[in-house]
Amino acid sequence: MLKFLKKVGFIVIGFLLLSYLISHASLWSLRQSQFYKPTFLTNGVPQTQFDYIVLGASTGLTTLNTQTIDSVLHTTGLNLSVDDTSLPNQYLMLQHFIATGKRTDFCILAPNPKNYNTLEHTLSDNDYRFLMYAHRPYVHDYYSQFKGTRAAILQYSSWMPTLGVSYYNAEVFYPSLLSLLQPNKHNRFDDLGNYSYPDRAFVDAPISQFQDTDLTFKNSYLEKIKALCDLHGITMICYISPMKGLKADVGSADYTIINHSDLLKNSGYFHDGIHVNTIGRAQASVVFARDFKSYLGIN
Amino acid sequence: MLFNSIVFAIFLPIVFVLYWFVFRNSLKLQNLLIVLASYVFYGWWDWRFLALILFSTLVDFFVAQELQKTAIKRHQKGLLAISLLCNLGLLGFFKYYNFFISSWIDAWDLVGVRMDLQTLQIILPVGISFYTFQTLSYTIDVYRQKLEPTHDFIQFSAFVSFFPQLVAGPIERASNLLPQFKKPRIFNSDFAVSGFYLIIWGLFKKVVVADNCAFFVNQIFDGTHSYSSLELFFGAVLFGFQIYGDFSGYSDIAIGVARLFGFRLMVNFSFPYFSRDISEFWRRWHISLSTWFRDYVYIPLGGSHGSRWLQIRNVFIVFLVSGFWHGANWTFIVWGGIHALLFLPLLLAKVNRAYVGETVISLVQVPRILLTFILVSFAWIYFRADTLAIAHTFILKIFSFKDVTLTLFYATSKSQLFSFIICMSIFIMLFFEFLAIQKNRKEVQLTTYSAIFISLLIMLMGVFKNPSDFIYFQF
Repeated sequence: MLKFLKKVGFIVIGFLLLSYLISHASLWSLRQSQFYKPTFLTNGVPQTQFDYIVLGASTGLTTLNTQTIDSVLHTTGLNLSVDDTSLPNQYLMLQHFIATGKRTDFCILAPNPKNYNTLEHTLSDNDYRFLMYAHRPYVHDYYSQFKGTRAAILQYSSWMPTLGVSYYNAEVFYPSLLSLLQPNKHNRFDDLGNYSYPDRAFVDAPISQFQDTDLTFKNSYLEKIKALCDLHGITMICYISPMKGLKADVGSADYTIINHSDLLKNSGYFHDGIHVNTIGRAQASVVFARDFKSYLGIN
Repeated sequence: MLFNSIVFAIFLPIVFVLYWFVFRNSLKLQNLLIVLASYVFYGWWDWRFLALILFSTLVDFFVAQELQKTAIKRHQKGLLAISLLCNLGLLGFFKYYNFFISSWIDAWDLVGVRMDLQTLQIILPVGISFYTFQTLSYTIDVYRQKLEPTHDFIQFSAFVSFFPQLVAGPIERASNLLPQFKKPRIFNSDFAVSGFYLIIWGLFKKVVVADNCAFFVNQIFDGTHSYSSLELFFGAVLFGFQIYGDFSGYSDIAIGVARLFGFRLMVNFSFPYFSRDISEFWRRWHISLSTWFRDYVYIPLGGSHGSRWLQIRNVFIVFLVSGFWHGANWTFIVWGGIHALLFLPLLLAKVNRAYVGETVISLVQVPRILLTFILVSFAWIYFRADTLAIAHTFILKIFSFKDVTLTLFYATSKSQLFSFIICMSIFIMLFFEFLAIQKNRKEVQLTTYSAIFISLLIMLMGVFKNPSDFIYFQF
């Protein structure tokens, strides 16, 4: 038995040591890179002062083009939206933004509009993108608030990185190898954090009717984000991105809201139900700039 | 409970410690622990179906007892019929009821008669095909007086429900496994280490090879119309590797886990994709099932003796029944039929045992190996497709040669990554297998350092986020 235990012990310890080294190296490589938004913010954005940042999910990422907005308003904006995320992740991103020593006057929240109503919070699909900072208290606290295997894996990765690197090997280990070769490579976003769905020919199909949908703004993370914004002198604006055939009925007056849910009245502007295509994106960004202008105090 | 789950990673060491450290002085308690652990293992999936295992165990235990007591042939036949009826009845109801009903409706529909029969919402109990065949072999062997029945119910229960091979085999013969439950266990370090290596190797095949192949295979088989001829062809090839990695990986883990408890299970896969003809493929693929059908169906039917027509009949019966064993769908029956058609020429030309005992492969045999692999891959299309129509469309589209692009495999960074991992993992698997074949080994034997290396590959190339179920659980 002793011989067996020694042999198995040697293999297990050997594996654990090597996997620990590989995982550490992998996360280190990602920390030096600009591959995902959190490290892009740390390593790829030299500016420290912004007029506004966009925090959102895929809707924020693909609707608001900061390049268009900045060209209209002569401002400096940054899009920190990450697809497949929800308001808790946007709160985490804001914490990360502040922790990197950067400042902004406005925070434009642009989650999936339905997320404004969400009461139960779960881990988002792309929350692993903060894994390289799992040792930081705000990231560790973020992961530890959720239940389930995935959350536990991310949470315990702060002292056992093998867990997260192996579970998310396709999303973490291989990008870390790529980052060694191309440290400035971004994962599907440009130098200002923007991304758009592929170009499509405009197919004219007017939307004649818009169905009302209630947005209650009951998501508890709105309060948290607002509180954090207030603490750092940031003005929070809730943006409701265009939706195909839906008009958001905004009942809350607690937050500053830019409601563009029924802005685009033609299916030709949409990639799918809640995402715009490049043509819709240009339209939405220009109109957003026009509305946002009043908050900036620019004539 | 899945072998590739965290629960099993906790369960196995607990049972191991109890077995070797707490109950090591009592054979009875060790067997009882195996029974309890096996019921927990199975009940983790759905405890309600434990009743079926218990029922099957009780029936065959008492039938075997009675078989020994009576010398009257008529009574013995009656007892055997009870066992067959109970076991095959369970299998028939849970696995084939809906198939027979819907086939009956379809058959009448062909002649314009509409039947109003209802199919049932039946959950297929995991592993039912495996443990019913295992218990049947016991009763048949007792009936044939090849085996003495056991009078120890715990021993017999442990044999029927032995958790490493309960849900997906290898389908053990009572003559091999049951005596092992009677003997006191002595821990053999080298044997246990070889088991530990097999677990690692099996996990590699399942988590790395099979589950990565599933990424493309599922897309291709779910949307046959959207892919090119070449993509479909590679879809079939990848499914061949997926099902091999999945099933043989499970078998390796099962054999490895059994070794940790001092049990030697039969080899279930012996490098089948290095087969030089279909006959050799069937001596290397799912050996425990093919030998079961050989011993309990093919040979009783007359085997390769008798007239040519009888031989053809016997081959077809065995392959069709084998196909039907896999699932209640015409696709499996056609799959079995294709293999019968591929096997028959070899049997009739009396070259079906051409490579028996000849394990080492030479370079000139590579074209034969490739041809066999391609034939097997085409048959897999029927095995994987949901319906015969989809399988036909799949094959017709391959041979249309209309579009020979491979865009699916490199269109996005994700697909490029999966393609890379799949190529690497298949190469590594075949490389290790080739080395084992050339050294005349029955299984891949890892060393300490290669075990660490393979473990690291599992960590870096395995699919953990969205793992696929073991394919053979559905059978």
